[in-house]
Amino acid sequence: MSNDTIKPQKFLEELRRYEKGSVTRRHFLGVTGLGLATSVMSAAVPGLQPRKAFAEGLSGTVNFTTWPNYFAQENIDNFTKNTGVKVNVTIFGSNEEMLAKLQAGSTGWDLFVPTNYTISTYKKLDLIEPLDMKLVPNYDASTQDPQFTGPGTIDGTLYAIVKDWGTTGYVVDTRKVKKTPETWKDFFDAAQGELSGKVLVHDYQLTTIGGALKALGHSFNSVDAGEMAAAEKLLLATKPHLFGINSDYQPSMRNGDAVMSMCWTNDGAQLHRDIKEMEYRLGKDGGEIWADHYAIPKGAPNRAAGYALMDYLLTPEINAKEVKSNGAPSSDSRVNAMVPKEMLENPILYPAKELLSKLEFGAAETLTNPVRAEIMARFKAA
Amino acid sequence: MFEQPVIAFENVTKTFGNVHAVVDNNLAVKAGEFLSILGPSGCGKTTSLRMMAGFEQPSSGAVSIQGQNMTGVPAFLRPVNMVFQHYALFPHLNVADNVSYGLRQRRPKPADAELAKSVADALEMVRLSGYEKRRSYELSGGQQQRVALARALINRPAVLLLDEPLAALDRKLRREMQIELQNLQRNLGITFLLVTHDQEEALSMSDRVCVMREGRIVQIGSPRELYDKPINSYVAGFVGKANFFVGPKADTVLCVRPELLEISATRKTLPQGLADAFDVTVLNRIFLGEHTEYLVRHESLGDFTVLSPRKSEHASGVFDIGDKAAVGWHKSAAQILTTT
Amino acid sequence: MNDAKHSRTLTALLLAPAGVFFVFLLVLPLLVMLVYSFGVRAPEGGYQAAFTFDNYLNLPARGKAFTNTLLLAPLATALTVLFAYPMAYFLAVKVSPRWRNAMLVLVVAPFWTSQLLRYYAWMMILGSKGIPSWLEWIGIADVRLLNTPYAVLIGAVYGFLPLMVPPIFVSLEKLDKRLLEASADLGSKPWQSFLQITLPLSLPGVATGSMLVFILLMGDYILPQFLGGGKVYFIGNALVDLFLQSRNWPFGAAVSIALVIIMFVTMYFYMRFVLGKTDQRRVAMV
Repeated sequence: MSNDTIKPQKFLEELRRYEKGSVTRRHFLGVTGLGLATSVMSAAVPGLQPRKAFAEGLSGTVNFTTWPNYFAQENIDNFTKNTGVKVNVTIFGSNEEMLAKLQAGSTGWDLFVPTNYTISTYKKLDLIEPLDMKLVPNYDASTQDPQFTGPGTIDGTLYAIVKDWGTTGYVVDTRKVKKTPETWKDFFDAAQGELSGKVLVHDYQLTTIGGALKALGHSFNSVDAGEMAAAEKLLLATKPHLFGINSDYQPSMRNGDAVMSMCWTNDGAQLHRDIKEMEYRLGKDGGEIWADHYAIPKGAPNRAAGYALMDYLLTPEINAKEVKSNGAPSSDSRVNAMVPKEMLENPILYPAKELLSKLEFGAAETLTNPVRAEIMARFKAA
Repeated sequence: MFEQPVIAFENVTKTFGNVHAVVDNNLAVKAGEFLSILGPSGCGKTTSLRMMAGFEQPSSGAVSIQGQNMTGVPAFLRPVNMVFQHYALFPHLNVADNVSYGLRQRRPKPADAELAKSVADALEMVRLSGYEKRRSYELSGGQQQRVALARALINRPAVLLLDEPLAALDRKLRREMQIELQNLQRNLGITFLLVTHDQEEALSMSDRVCVMREGRIVQIGSPRELYDKPINSYVAGFVGKANFFVGPKADTVLCVRPELLEISATRKTLPQGLADAFDVTVLNRIFLGEHTEYLVRHESLGDFTVLSPRKSEHASGVFDIGDKAAVGWHKSAAQILTTT
Repeated sequence: MNDAKHSRTLTALLLAPAGVFFVFLLVLPLLVMLVYSFGVRAPEGGYQAAFTFDNYLNLPARGKAFTNTLLLAPLATALTVLFAYPMAYFLAVKVSPRWRNAMLVLVVAPFWTSQLLRYYAWMMILGSKGIPSWLEWIGIADVRLLNTPYAVLIGAVYGFLPLMVPPIFVSLEKLDKRLLEASADLGSKPWQSFLQITLPLSLPGVATGSMLVFILLMGDYILPQFLGGGKVYFIGNALVDLFLQSRNWPFGAAVSIALVIIMFVTMYFYMRFVLGKTDQRRVAMV
């Protein structure tokens, strides 16, 4: 049944497979509204709805909002099979956009996947509810890697549970790039120099401005006016040399249009898996480490089913399938025990300690800072 | 006077698929003549006209204009102009631009002043002076008709082709335009070739009428010739009204025009010297002003029509439906015609 | 009197749905936009009441988006006309009626498939393994198409052709063929007839199609995002970013109002000077 729900997305996947099979995280399916369209479509076709609820107290449809290609379809299908609850998956392009929709109200979401640095803002705006741990029996705080659990806990209350984590670096096609940049400074120098016209940056303020800030020797999260102005200057100077500003960078990398791009862990793993010469790097001067979380929005219409789906996806063997499917590592040691050894040894997924130690978690301030948002918009509009 | 044909069809046949629209047409129109092609729809008259205009090419045979073979020559190179059935005025152009359209296609293009003068003259000719700036959709049917005429005549064509030009007008306007067309033709001396299904129109305006039937020419002659000496019952029936009775031989009929029949209360009161007389019953009566038309029945001849002129009613009398009457005709009034 | 009253009531009733639609879906949102455009961004994003002209004064910060859109949208519309017209002409005039509808369906068919898929396909065609590699093969090296204005123009022509062809087709198909015969009869060569009769009389179709395509292009953001790749930025992209990324609703509202004003002005001049001259609207109704 869920298969029918995301048919167009399957379609896209087929197309991508033709392109040599890729999935991207913050691809803007959401921006285009296709995600929304499909959920509306399936809701409008009663034949697709399960006839009766199997699980106690659960019924209807659960609206699950997440990133593109960021879940195992098998798990979604099995959840529906077990509970009779149909899952409407809605795809989003950025944290900013998720926040914009929740701020506007009446989303109808039951479960969504915000990134670490946004959770405190959701709490502050009273958009998410403190989690009722009785409804998440499969969560075990003791098996969580403590370095990721911080943002989900606010004033001692758990508001969000880590789904998976990763890093932001850059991917390089070493067949075409002779000298792989070592740092973010190298990245921007190369973009303006020998790789002019062949470099992509994210369509995402956090990482693009963050990368520019790192290249200038500042914090990834800086909201200092002078530092941000310098970052804007660097970005504007780089823009004419860029191939594009796009969070959907896999097609261009695979096609050979671009030879270097800002990159997230899971995309880096997928590109490397298919093309060995595609190397994922973290800047020696730092970058981002992130963790995506499950959270329940305030006033979720099918709250019980939202919890049930979250709990189901956090079940270690189910979560292991999630990890294997989308390539982003889990923070749960029970899950890691079930993941193949070669995955755990993949330096893209689990970078060396000295690289990890330089990374910064995104800061809440960057999400709401009007200057950062405006710099990104001006950079794109330039 | 009319020796050299200005346009001529020579053994022209036109087929569309397996439909023979025109078969072996040899019509020749003399210079300065007003000739009408008359026939019901589908008789090939419009197709003949369109072949002369250049919109259709003959399947075999040739068309010529002023002695020049025009077969295969496109419409825009032919020295003829056409008035279309629904006028085909250009809706995006005003009256002046419609009328001057033909002149503006010439190279070198005439000067604006010259064009304006020609347009003014042409509009004066069709009594539409001052209508230069009007749009075609602001004009009445009759006015549109005159613009179409002016648009064609301004080019001084060798022949003006008219395709059912009056069909879209009401009866009264049609009468007026018939007279106007006739006057224009006489005054300009331009040859007119007109196509119509309206026998009254053909008879009243034309020097000669060409009757067509199923792609073939049946008879060509002056209106009087066609009326008085139709070569067969088809022409007699199409040109004017006619009563047909069983003929003396197979495939023949006896034809008597209704106005040549005499009617009276009894055989005795009928005029003297009639060839034959019959007792009839009046079935219907239509008062037509100068005539009264009776539909009468004879037990063996069947039903037929009698036209009784108003001025002889004092002698013949007036009959009501159901009245008995006597009908007769002079020998000269009856013609024996073939039916094929 | 009673009758007149009755018919007035009826007219009002019949117009009510359109009126409600107009007020609630057009006028009210526009008023909300107008109010928002004088506000300020709330600390976490969104709208906070205020009265300031800052948002309008800040419009030059999106100057490039406006100039890009105002340059490329009309250009793309004109190019679409150039491609659509011969197609529509061919369908309406040259193709036998038996095949006409089937072929029209073929022209429109791509519009029923996912716009996303079509743009993805163009990304591959215009990417370095597509047209540029063919060009390289014939000796023209280093051609960049994807993420350039050319790609956006190509995508626009391709994407909006199905919208442009039908209105032109309809105006050409309903064109009275006797007018062309009349033109030929008056001594006009076929191409002169085309310029003097066919073209002016099909302008209403061109106008309808152009308006449709122009309006859609002015607000488009998917096409520039896909084929412009963030390098060709339209007002639509600015709006998406302002409402969904920066969540700067007041500035977004100001950009929207500016876009609406530009659209009205452009359409006014278009109707007045391109169409007004030949009184096309009257002709279209005849």
